Amino acid sequence: MKTIALIPAYNEESRIAASVRDARSFVDGVVVVDDCSVDRTGEVARAAGAIVLRHVINRGQGAALQTATEYALDALNADALVHFDADGQMVAREIPMMLEPILSGEADVVLGSRFLGRATNMPFTRRMANRLARLFTLAISGIALTDTHNGFRALSRKAARELTVTLDRMAHASQILDLVKVRRLRYVERPVTITYSEETLAKSPSSFRAFGIVKDILKDKFFTRI
Amino acid sequence: MTFQVILVLFALFAITRTSRQYRKRKVSLYWFLLWTGLWALVIGIALYPTTADAIARFVGVERGADLALYLAVVLLAYLVFRLFVRQEETERSITQVVRQIAVQHPSKPDETH
Repeated sequence: MKTIALIPAYNEESRIAASVRDARSFVDGVVVVDDCSVDRTGEVARAAGAIVLRHVINRGQGAALQTATEYALDALNADALVHFDADGQMVAREIPMMLEPILSGEADVVLGSRFLGRATNMPFTRRMANRLARLFTLAISGIALTDTHNGFRALSRKAARELTVTLDRMAHASQILDLVKVRRLRYVERPVTITYSEETLAKSPSSFRAFGIVKDILKDKFFTRI
Repeated sequence: MTFQVILVLFALFAITRTSRQYRKRKVSLYWFLLWTGLWALVIGIALYPTTADAIARFVGVERGADLALYLAVVLLAYLVFRLFVRQEETERSITQVVRQIAVQHPSKPDETH
């Protein structure tokens, strides 16, 4: 079984090397998509041992993940994929635990959950925003999860082929859940640790950006499929 | 009176622009006919406002000007919707192109010198 970690990255030169090195110890290869960073993210990632694909125009995290997925499946012939992050919020030691249900054939999709595990110092507003997101996802996709916007995932080759992400920005997380349901893929949740630091909080989506996500999902549901 | 003259002049301007665009093959025949028809209608209503009132009463609206306004809002909403869809398609095409370029030029760790 060939396992590949996918890391979408945008302006992460200070943190990407650690992410790549950590992930490499637990998978057969790491693909970083440098989403048109203005810093040295790409070079740093390559030096740390990743295969780097560069977007010549910034297309968003969803688009970057899809690019990495297609490359891992077509060029690297991956059997299982792990979605990992560039900014050190996720713990690489948890990768084998995430991959286990795929490797054993128990599930096609493994979704990380901050609430089954122990999220390290999660701010109150995030907790509330997440609760709303859970309700929203249940209403829109009919899928009941404890954590709907967790970027830590593992996918079998089959699942990765079926989960084609077309929402380029942050709403891809909801789209993935939607497709899991639509394509009737077998999924399980696993507890993961997410560490929030001042630095990553400043960069990652605020609760306000959630409105943008909701907008993208509704737009996709009601307009683009016509 | 002044408003009617301005409206007619503007409509004629729009029609001549469109026909020039059509002759240069910059717009389709469909678009040319649609656009010309629309402005011809505007001229008609500007010159004979009472016909608009008659049509309005026929479809159940009090005044011709009101009917024109309602239709304009509906038309604009439709055009915005079309632009919306078109723009989404364009965004997706850009992503496709960016993705193609990215996967065709991977930089691998062993290529570092």
